[in-house]
Amino acid sequence: MLGGAAVLTLLVLVLLAMAFGPPRKVAARRWTHGLGLGLSLPVLGVMLAAGLWVGERVLPRDDGALKIEVHAVQWYWEFTAPGSDGPVMTRDRLILPAGEPVDLVITSEDVIHSFWVPQLGGKMDAIPGRTNRLRLQADAPGVLVGQCAEFCGLGHAVMRFEVEVVDPDDWEDALRATADNGEAEDD
Amino acid sequence: MMWLARALLGLGIWATGFSLVYALHGTGCARGWPEVALAGGVDQHAAALWAGWLATLAAGLILLLRMPRVSAEAGLRHWLPRAGALMGVGATLFTLLPVALATSC
Amino acid sequence: MTDSTAQGLTGTREDAQDEPLTIAANPPQRALGLHRELTKAWANDSGWWGQVTAVNHTTLGLRFMGTALVFFLIGGVLSMLIRAQLATHDGAFLDTELYNQIFTMHGSIMMFLFAIPMLEGLSIYLLPKLLGTRDMAFPRLTALGYWCYLFGGLIMLTALLFGVAPRDGWFMYTPLSSAAHSPGINADVWLLGVTFVEISALAAAVEITVTILRQRAPGMKLTEMPLFAWYILGTSVMMLVGFPPLILASVLLEIERAFGWPFFDVARGGDPLLWQHLFWLFGHPEVYIIFLPAAGVLSTLIPVLCRTQIVGYGAIVASILALVFLSFGLWVHHMFTVGIPHMALAFFSAASLAVAVPTVVQVFAWIGTMWQGRPELKLPMYYILGFFLTFVMGGLTGVMLAVVPFNWQAHDTAFVTAHLHYVLIGGFVFPMLAAAAWWMPQITGRERVRGLGEAAFWVILIGFHGTFFIMHLTGLLGMPRRIDVYTENPEWVWLNLTSSIFGFVMTIGFGLFVLDMALQAFMGQKQRRDPWRAPTLDWAMPLPAPAYTFASIPAPRHLDKEARDVTLPLARGEGLLPGAPRRRREFLVTSLAGARPDHVAILPGNTALPLAVSATIGAFVLLMLAGLYPLTLLPLAGVAALVWLWGRGMVRPVDEAPIPVAPGWQLPEQGLRRRTLGWSGSVCLLVANGTLFASLVFGVGFLAVVAPGWPGPEVQAAGRAALPGVVLAALMPLSGALAVRWAEAGQRRGSAGLVAAGLGLLANAVALGALAWLAAGHMDDPTQHARDALRGVLAGYVALHAFIAAGLGGFALDQTRRGEITPAHGGVLPTWRLWQDYAAVTAPIAAVLAVGLGMST
Repeated sequence: MLGGAAVLTLLVLVLLAMAFGPPRKVAARRWTHGLGLGLSLPVLGVMLAAGLWVGERVLPRDDGALKIEVHAVQWYWEFTAPGSDGPVMTRDRLILPAGEPVDLVITSEDVIHSFWVPQLGGKMDAIPGRTNRLRLQADAPGVLVGQCAEFCGLGHAVMRFEVEVVDPDDWEDALRATADNGEAEDD
Repeated sequence: MMWLARALLGLGIWATGFSLVYALHGTGCARGWPEVALAGGVDQHAAALWAGWLATLAAGLILLLRMPRVSAEAGLRHWLPRAGALMGVGATLFTLLPVALATSC
Repeated sequence: MTDSTAQGLTGTREDAQDEPLTIAANPPQRALGLHRELTKAWANDSGWWGQVTAVNHTTLGLRFMGTALVFFLIGGVLSMLIRAQLATHDGAFLDTELYNQIFTMHGSIMMFLFAIPMLEGLSIYLLPKLLGTRDMAFPRLTALGYWCYLFGGLIMLTALLFGVAPRDGWFMYTPLSSAAHSPGINADVWLLGVTFVEISALAAAVEITVTILRQRAPGMKLTEMPLFAWYILGTSVMMLVGFPPLILASVLLEIERAFGWPFFDVARGGDPLLWQHLFWLFGHPEVYIIFLPAAGVLSTLIPVLCRTQIVGYGAIVASILALVFLSFGLWVHHMFTVGIPHMALAFFSAASLAVAVPTVVQVFAWIGTMWQGRPELKLPMYYILGFFLTFVMGGLTGVMLAVVPFNWQAHDTAFVTAHLHYVLIGGFVFPMLAAAAWWMPQITGRERVRGLGEAAFWVILIGFHGTFFIMHLTGLLGMPRRIDVYTENPEWVWLNLTSSIFGFVMTIGFGLFVLDMALQAFMGQKQRRDPWRAPTLDWAMPLPAPAYTFASIPAPRHLDKEARDVTLPLARGEGLLPGAPRRRREFLVTSLAGARPDHVAILPGNTALPLAVSATIGAFVLLMLAGLYPLTLLPLAGVAALVWLWGRGMVRPVDEAPIPVAPGWQLPEQGLRRRTLGWSGSVCLLVANGTLFASLVFGVGFLAVVAPGWPGPEVQAAGRAALPGVVLAALMPLSGALAVRWAEAGQRRGSAGLVAAGLGLLANAVALGALAWLAAGHMDDPTQHARDALRGVLAGYVALHAFIAAGLGGFALDQTRRGEITPAHGGVLPTWRLWQDYAAVTAPIAAVLAVGLGMST
């Protein structure tokens, strides 16, 4: 997409540079219809199709994927994951299994926030009174950083969280370990 | 003045149809229309959206067919209404294409 | 002059517009004599007081632009504070509270106090000159708009000085901006201040629309008028339709904050997304409202600078129409991450892509024009080239952002900050700088100092791209918008530091630009006439432009010539309606499409009334901010009284003798015509009003269907017992409409319409009484649920229009009593009829909605 944009920008600049010279006879329709419509419509059509196709692929579906609740509060995040004996809550730290699609169920306590982990792509607002879903998939274990993307007041810049991506087999252990840490930090 | 009103008609049809389909879409999602099956395996939501899209398209096409063919040399007063009708049909085709392509709710 | 000629001249039949319009020339007079006579009628009063009472478009257009420039510089200083804060990763320069106020004010100032007023000022200054008339349609309204803009802007600036400026972002998303999460007056300053300023936007939109449609020089057909006028016509119509949703949203949020009526509070049946819909329903068209005038400047300048004609006039007009419509179909692309179903996103994604098509057509029409001619590299051309480079890149990133999955990643990051500055600075500021270089000789009557303008251009261009190009990358690397520190991301420092350094370079460039303007204004050589050899009428006058613009109004034979060839004949009074022999301000009103002369408009002179009205509105705003709600009734009553005076100011004895316009041509004055400029203005205002009502209906539907928390609690008070009140409120405006028709029939017969006017007044008063009765005990507490709050607003809307209609009925009664309504002159009756009909249509709709809301439980 960036390459295409660069090519189109260059095209316009070259046409502009070529304009500086003696007057020429110009066929108006070649510019307004030929270039104006002929160039824009195919490019935009392709972009619409591609955007729809990618958009459809990343939609959450009811295929039994792991569901984690994300609750945004001024100015921290609560993550509630289903453990084998009841839900496990972690604060400002999200534990994800690598290589599996996960549906995040996103809600807000007070104002509008937005859940965003830049390296996982996609973002979804947390809006009071609504429940939004976002499907994510982290491919490899590691630690990523997420943050609130919608301006939410004084603590907006520091409303960050860590995403720990672990091997699916270690997921529940990591979850429990973090939950304990979370409580310890709270005290 | 009448020609200006006629020039706006095509895009007006688009605006009306676009609002209508968007309203139908929102209402359908809120009221659970996708769960209501109609005859032939079509759900009520899809049927409403397709009907809205096709009706808009039909209105635009009828308008277009009623516009006399003129060249750009005939003057803006004669050319613009037809161009407006064409733009309306084009916009209806393009912007409501998702009715056919995207997941509804 | 025979009667049949007069008939032919004034006939506005549209099939007549292809018949050639030939009007004989007036005999030449001494130009200086005409100049003195006209200046006496048109000039501002002298001295300081003369500035207060000025209503002239040249004075006010320049004042709008000058004030907008000052706000631009203030907004620029705020942006430098932002850049200073972000230059390091834990910037300790500003605290978070202040930083939030500063970025909120930067955005709000640039949008509402710079861009919109700047384009209004340019249009007000230029349109009468370009169209061949002497002033805007409603000079007092121009002045009112200016004062509202100034006072609203000053209230916001004062709040910033005292540290209580808005701090919730220029988009004011609720619930962050609600009373619960934003206590204090910060948010109220935004809601009330911006709405105050928007009065000027609506005023400008009304008068610009009317001026373009009805004041073009005779023979300047719509299909042949300068492209700039087409662009501004598109802009003004968009403003009429685009601003009402924002005004409605602001009013609703202010009512929620001040009186606790829930519209956006999700716990009581509101929905914060309603705010976003209404805000962006305004906010995206806003971008095109800003872009269209700039494109109009480009379409005006490029052909002249290339010594040729524009390529594709028709295609450009078609593109403008497409932009006007399509730009209202993409507001949701600001809301791609709020959790809307994919198909709805896809509609708006497709519309956002489609809107690029007319823009691309224009860009290629401009480049084709440059190919056709021989471009001259003068200062405005530098800025035009800067526009192409910058705007094309901004447009392309815009197309990327229209694609949903990309938007999900880039939304609310520095990438969007970069994109919007490419579009707004590329698409608006560069063309405006070109416009400044172009029209400064006309404004000042002086030449610019060589070299400085070019230097300013290069410094601005380099500073701009240095600041914002890498910001795309900053955003893609994950930096969100509106953060004041990024302590844990030191890797962004070099990017931000670079942006900050170049930001200061850009500021230096704008400093050079202002210096250049100042030097030109005070030290430049005297400018010869028509420096650009332009074909448009705005150069067919002495420099700087005189208060009356044209000593005689251009006739059809003047329209297809170069400006330089008609300057002298027009100054010598060879055009139409020469001089000011009746010692008052007059110009011609022509028919909508064919520009055939219809009548002579007579304008009010200098007055301080606009200042008084806006000062009274300002008192209302300040009392609201202070929380002294009962006291606000005082300024409201004051506004009503002043509006009455305003109306009385339009009343003058009607001159039934026709006015000579050219040899063998005479026209009636406005009082003898039904479709006056004022009538057209009311139509425009009602279009805007209808959009506001439609937005309200949308809000009702949206909350009832989509908002969580519905249905609300059981309806208590408003049962069957309330029905008589509802029926009266719904139907009485309709009786008023019948009364107006009766009054008009009486007027034409010449019988005094006292009874009819009295009955009309009474009908509206009964509607008001019924609403008061409902409010006093037959409506549920509006604070308990959005349903009841909406019913309250619907009742308020009906009451407001019953009040306006009652006022107009009272005015008609007063005019009848004074004998000012005659068989030839209907006085206020046509205007009353418009507003009464509007009330008669909206009241039953509102009643049905209110009753329907009650049944939704």
